[in-house]
Amino acid sequence: MILNATFLAAFLGAALVLALPERWARGVALAAALAGLGFAASAFSGYDNAPGAPHFQFVTQAPWVPALGISFHTGADGISLALLVLTGIIAVAGVLFSWNVAHRPRAFFAFYLVIIGGVYGVFQSFDLFLLFVFYEIVIIPKYFLISAWGSTNREYGAMKLTMYSAAGSALVLLAILATSAASGAHTFDLLALADPSRASFAPAFQAWVFPVMFVGFAVLAGLWPLHTWAPTGHVAAPTAVSMLLAGVVMKLGSYGALRVAMTLFPIGLAQWKFPIAVLAAAGILLGALVALAQRDLKFTVGYSSIAHMGFVLLGLMTLNLSGLGGAVLQMFSHGIIGGLLFAVVGRMIYDRTHTRDIAELGAMGLARTLPFAAATFTVASVASMGLPGFSGFIAEFTILKGAWMAFPPLLIPAGLGVVVTVAFTLIALQRTFFPAGEAPAPPPLPPITPPEKLGALLLMAATLAVGLFPSVLLDPILRSFESPLMRTLIQGGPR
Amino acid sequence: MSPLLAALAPEAVLLVTALAVLGLGVSIPRARNAATSLALVGGILSAATLRFCPGGGVFLGGMISLTPLAGILQLVVLGLALVAIVFAADSFPDAHFAEALALILFAALGMMLLCATDDLLMIFLALELTSLPLYVLAAFEKSRQAPAEAALKYFLVGSVSAAFLLYGISLIFGVTGTTNLHALSSFPGPGDPLLLAGMVMVLCGFAFKVAAVPFQLWAPDVYEGAPTAAAALIASGSKVAAVFILAKFLFGGLGPWAGSMGAPGWAPVLAVAAAASMVLGNLAALVQSNVKRLLAYSAIANGGYLLLGLASGEPASLPAVLFYVIIYALTTAGAFGVVILVEKSRGGSRLEDFDGLSKSSPGLAICLLVFLMSLAGIPPLAGFFGKFYLFATALENPGLIWLVALAVALNAISLYYYLIVLKHALVLPAPDGGHFAAPAPTPTPTRALVAALALLVLAAGLFPNLLLTPLTRSLRPATAAESAPACLP
Amino acid sequence: MTSYLLLTLFLVIAIIFPLVPLAMAWAWARIFSPAKPGHDKQSSYECGIESTGPARVQFQSHYYLYALVFLVFDVETIFLLPFAAAFLDLPASAFLALMVFLLLLLEGLVWAWAKGILAWK
Repeated sequence: MILNATFLAAFLGAALVLALPERWARGVALAAALAGLGFAASAFSGYDNAPGAPHFQFVTQAPWVPALGISFHTGADGISLALLVLTGIIAVAGVLFSWNVAHRPRAFFAFYLVIIGGVYGVFQSFDLFLLFVFYEIVIIPKYFLISAWGSTNREYGAMKLTMYSAAGSALVLLAILATSAASGAHTFDLLALADPSRASFAPAFQAWVFPVMFVGFAVLAGLWPLHTWAPTGHVAAPTAVSMLLAGVVMKLGSYGALRVAMTLFPIGLAQWKFPIAVLAAAGILLGALVALAQRDLKFTVGYSSIAHMGFVLLGLMTLNLSGLGGAVLQMFSHGIIGGLLFAVVGRMIYDRTHTRDIAELGAMGLARTLPFAAATFTVASVASMGLPGFSGFIAEFTILKGAWMAFPPLLIPAGLGVVVTVAFTLIALQRTFFPAGEAPAPPPLPPITPPEKLGALLLMAATLAVGLFPSVLLDPILRSFESPLMRTLIQGGPR
Repeated sequence: MSPLLAALAPEAVLLVTALAVLGLGVSIPRARNAATSLALVGGILSAATLRFCPGGGVFLGGMISLTPLAGILQLVVLGLALVAIVFAADSFPDAHFAEALALILFAALGMMLLCATDDLLMIFLALELTSLPLYVLAAFEKSRQAPAEAALKYFLVGSVSAAFLLYGISLIFGVTGTTNLHALSSFPGPGDPLLLAGMVMVLCGFAFKVAAVPFQLWAPDVYEGAPTAAAALIASGSKVAAVFILAKFLFGGLGPWAGSMGAPGWAPVLAVAAAASMVLGNLAALVQSNVKRLLAYSAIANGGYLLLGLASGEPASLPAVLFYVIIYALTTAGAFGVVILVEKSRGGSRLEDFDGLSKSSPGLAICLLVFLMSLAGIPPLAGFFGKFYLFATALENPGLIWLVALAVALNAISLYYYLIVLKHALVLPAPDGGHFAAPAPTPTPTRALVAALALLVLAAGLFPNLLLTPLTRSLRPATAAESAPACLP
Repeated sequence: MTSYLLLTLFLVIAIIFPLVPLAMAWAWARIFSPAKPGHDKQSSYECGIESTGPARVQFQSHYYLYALVFLVFDVETIFLLPFAAAFLDLPASAFLALMVFLLLLLEGLVWAWAKGILAWK
């Protein structure tokens, strides 16, 4: 029940935000986000990690539409809990960074909380129908948030993002329907469908259902070359929405791919893992190269998201404990870091300077007028580059180790991608905040407000904590791969 | 009292109400409120009669066949007619107002009869009783050119399709010697070419009512040109009745004639019509600038989805089809209700007329969001569950996987044009000095009804069993102990 | 099959039957009475009086309303005929049913009357 409280608090918060007067909007939103984080954190700390304990805890199961075999089945293992905590942190940070929204704040926070609720729901669902319901709930508020409160090219960006998401969902829906029809079991419960004692699906069936379902999920995760919605959409979105999108919503796609597509169709996975791994590595390298060429700071951050998500997908395809564990950790890590980067670029910089052009920003002497922003962006860049001490290092290292064991040739583009990431991150950091030469008298800018500082500190603390004590997250995550559901993944690949 | 009359008590009440309203229209000069009240009271009385003392049984050799399933459908159709009456009370002009209400009630009577019959001739009769008042209702604002043209198109296409229907029925009767659907189902297969021709012609007649390609030409013009309350009734009520009788005809009468991709029968015909309807409806809606016309093309597309559900040939798809058509009817009625309110405030129903709706009437904007997202198939609304259920049961027939894939893809595309409407309503600001800024006299009954429909759509999405259980229960073969009480001894 | 042969023969004769007099009339006109048009011959006949104004008068579309109402009551009459023929053998409920039918149509007539449709405009 405590898991269900996360999304219930979010949806209730959304309804309250709409019902109460405008000046209460952000307070109620913050309360709802904090409540969600509290529930997720207490579930995480209450998770029994002992070797004999059940893998899926906090389970709620109730029949919903028995005629179709649909039940309300939620629960969590280490993977789910890590991502639930991530959602909580990003939700709170997002509200803090949106403290200054003046144009129709009630509608803004209501849509925001609906997305949060939907994301919470996806991470805890074990019924395919329920998971898809939450997955789809997230799509529509994104459109309105971007087209109504966004900036550059917002109507086009919003529609492109939404239509790509809808197309991915259509593929997933088709796969879910086909799976249920082919299973003959008249149920949508994931654990029942993926039960190893059941006869698995026919190889010919898996050969087409797996790529359809995986690609359907992976579109939302930014799989190259279906990733072009992400930079356009992220740039057009307002700050909190960019944080949500890059931080959590993209993880929905990779989570769905891991939890549903990969567990149900091991034969199809074995056939398709190498092509997908190639695409993932391509995403890492090409995303980084394109980021290198950007003049707009937010576009740089957007393309860096593609690169980091490429790591996630690569780790997923390695099918060994190192790569898979690293992939989930990278989901958490990039969620925090991506959120932090977008927060700095959007809220701290763009809201004040009204420009995102790196050259123009360099001329403003931001290191002197916004020292907190400079410090935060430095920390975020360093974490994004994968410096030890921050969460990104552990995640990327374990992924690369797993990739070395599974696809040694792909380590070349991945490694190159890491180098190029360092390059563009340093270049962006240096040119924006610490340009060579003395800037003329910088225009005074409004100082960083306390909510922004709180949000930034929260995110920086999260990435630092996981970087210094990774076992807090890694232990539950790795243990969740021992459950009957997830174990099939590792059996197929190299240890 | 004869058992037939006792069983037909709800229809009789409705008929008397319609005649009374007609009489009221000629006796009292300005009869608007009186006529509305009388119509609503009579309709509610008829619904109560239907709900609490539904006479059951088969009369006149299958011409009147009152089963629990028919009772549910009749209740739905009656409810939709009452919704149309409330909408009409808020939007129809004063001239001939009582006649408009009487026409709505007559159409409702026809729809109720359509749900309660097992005989082909009675089907034709009820279909005409439904259609003729709708033709007249579509032409109600005859002073403008668009409604007159729309009604004429509706009438001409409808008459030709009725002619085809009748000719097909006569061919079927000529070969099989019966017009009763149950007796028809004992015939093995459409081996006789005359029988095939008759079957196709009857399908043409029904496909017109469902607005399936290639009989859909009337729909965009009629939805756009007719008075919005009439369009609401056409879109919701007549669709429910038409789909139900089509399903009854196919599964009840022509069950063994289904055929499949290789064999001749009605299933491949429906599959092709479904594919064409979905493609045409969704693609044409992408470029529309008038919301009513957009809803018409969406109706064509949804007709395609319904035909897809029927094309599987499996009787198990019947509850899915009925669930979807009922939900669709409620959603469309609500959407048209919003259009009525916008037309009253802004004078038109183009996309630009919706600008700034969320600022002046946030509740209405939320209702529009609910309706359009339900049509687009977004959870947790009822439209999503309906589509999911429909596609899931269609896939029981593995040969339809391509059709279902097409449907899912086009459903994703349809999100685009619904979002465009919502962009105008929720995102774009009202033009300067737009009438939305000033408090317009918005009629309250329509608003309350629109809100109630939105809540219904949300509730049916969260708890589909509310509607699903009665449907599935009524589809089980009736036990002998179930003899429903009649109201009159 | 012979029945269809007879039917075909019937069809052929039915087509030929009206065509023969027409052909004969045309032949007669061609051979025995060539056209000699004149002013008095071409003018329209109006009981011997000189015609004034054009022959084409605008058709009053209002006639259609009378045609509509007439049609309804004509069909009602057709339904009444067999009822009248079998009246003595029918039970009372049949009388009641037909009275309902008549009253329905009577209400329609009253409605049309009250709406002013029957008044010539």
